[in-house]
Amino acid sequence: MREASVIAPRSLREALRAVGRKGVVAVAGGTDLLVRLHDVAAGERPSFLVLDGVRTLHSIAPRGKGLALGPLVTFSEIERSSLLRTLAPQLVEAASVAGSVQIRNRATLGGNIANGSPAGDLLPPLYVLSARLELSYSGGRRQVMIEDFFKGPGETVLRRNELITRVVFERSQNRGFFLRLAVRRALAISKVSVAANVSLRNGRVQSVRIALGAVAPTVLRASRTEEYLLGRELDRDSIETACGLASGEAAPIDDIRSEADYRREMVGVLLGRGLLRIASAR
Amino acid sequence: MKLKFTVNRRATTLEVTGAERVIDLLRERLGLVGTKEGCGKGECGACTVLLDGSPVCSCLLLSSQVAGREITTIEGLSEGESLHPVQAAFAETGAVQCGFCTPGLVLSSAALLADIPAPSREQMKRALAGNLCRCTGYQKIFEAVELASRNMRREKRRRR
Ligand SMILES: Cc1cc2nc3c(=O)[nH]c(=O)nc-3n(C[C@H](O)[C@H](O)[C@H](O)COP(=O)(O)OP(=O)(O)OC[C@H]3O[C@@H](n4cnc5c(N)ncnc54)[C@H](O)[C@@H]3O)c2cc1C
Repeated sequence: MREASVIAPRSLREALRAVGRKGVVAVAGGTDLLVRLHDVAAGERPSFLVLDGVRTLHSIAPRGKGLALGPLVTFSEIERSSLLRTLAPQLVEAASVAGSVQIRNRATLGGNIANGSPAGDLLPPLYVLSARLELSYSGGRRQVMIEDFFKGPGETVLRRNELITRVVFERSQNRGFFLRLAVRRALAISKVSVAANVSLRNGRVQSVRIALGAVAPTVLRASRTEEYLLGRELDRDSIETACGLASGEAAPIDDIRSEADYRREMVGVLLGRGLLRIASAR
Repeated sequence: MKLKFTVNRRATTLEVTGAERVIDLLRERLGLVGTKEGCGKGECGACTVLLDGSPVCSCLLLSSQVAGREITTIEGLSEGESLHPVQAAFAETGAVQCGFCTPGLVLSSAALLADIPAPSREQMKRALAGNLCRCTGYQKIFEAVELASRNMRREKRRRR
């Protein structure tokens, strides 16, 4: 049995030196990791690399026309940021419906991404905002688009010696939403979620990105639905067709939280609600 | 490692590994057994404490994550013998039945009222969604928060 230990770096350099070591696991908010370790005996636990103390990983800052967020930004900080409210309303909506106050006060952006769950609520908003991840190791760093980061449920391209050190994204177009369904409103993981980033010009869809959560092994862009909507007016008919298309693009499974058929149908329902909201807000 | 932090307004130093859960430190090392462990997985909120004034689950918090920070447990809410207005209101409206969820609910309610002195029912529901109570049906709890809110605002006006 190995004595569980903790590394609590103050600087990113120190953190990156420790991250590749054998038996060391990074902890941000701990809301996924410590749940996963709940039934693991103390002697069997990994050593924790506690990221909290690295101040530079907590920042929210404008970058170009968009934003750069540190991975340690919490859901609560996203929820309360006036900058994000204007520039990334989808992300703010997602952060404010997830978990509970207690969870949102600890759960981080980077943890949500690294955890790699297709039901992670911040992921569909990040997809429609074309987020780019900065992955760093002690010898350098690389950039990966969010769509290329996930390989499957809980599987990502993050290497053992890397940390997510920055999340950069565009500002949202003039219309956007995040909607989700779970077994109840609070403290429940999404069965289905839909995020969109839309710009309208003279009543027509000038650009649109739609992402679906929890209905495939990874979050999914609804690209056929997007193509269909481009250039169209948002009216009853076009919205109905788009909902049908999006349901068809989903590839859900039956699991403890829901059933495939229900999920598929709800993709259309949520997209319809969101698009109607946009159409009637004109 | 030597952990320095503040517990219920008192500067505290403990020798720790850094990997212990804060709930275990509080209950077993500091004897603050008002903090309860329900699920141990962040779902029930019985282990809620305030970290720099914000509610968090102490079952999902490592001791090394509270270095230099301030923890408030239910024991730290009252001042000597006099109850915090939220505690008094919980007792008065009958918002306590078995009592297991009460410390967490009182702390979450106190944090809410510090942030929003006169919350709507909707705001209360959002703020307390992370604290499960299987006895009361929440009605009395919302009444307690409303009573505490009225009393705290009256007290504040009186002091001005
Ligand atoms: C009761 C409860 C309810 C929840 N409800 C929701 C919900 O509604 N919606 C939702 O999306 N999630 C929910 N979650 C899951 C969880 O809160 C989120 O996924 C959260 O974002 C995880 O972040 P964290 O900082 O706590 O991650 P941690 O647990 O600290 O880490 C998770 C994983 O990511 C790795 N990691 C963390 N940061 C980095 C980094 N910067 N670089 C590389 N790797 C890193 C860790 O090593 C670990 O493997 C819930 C969890 C609980 C316990």
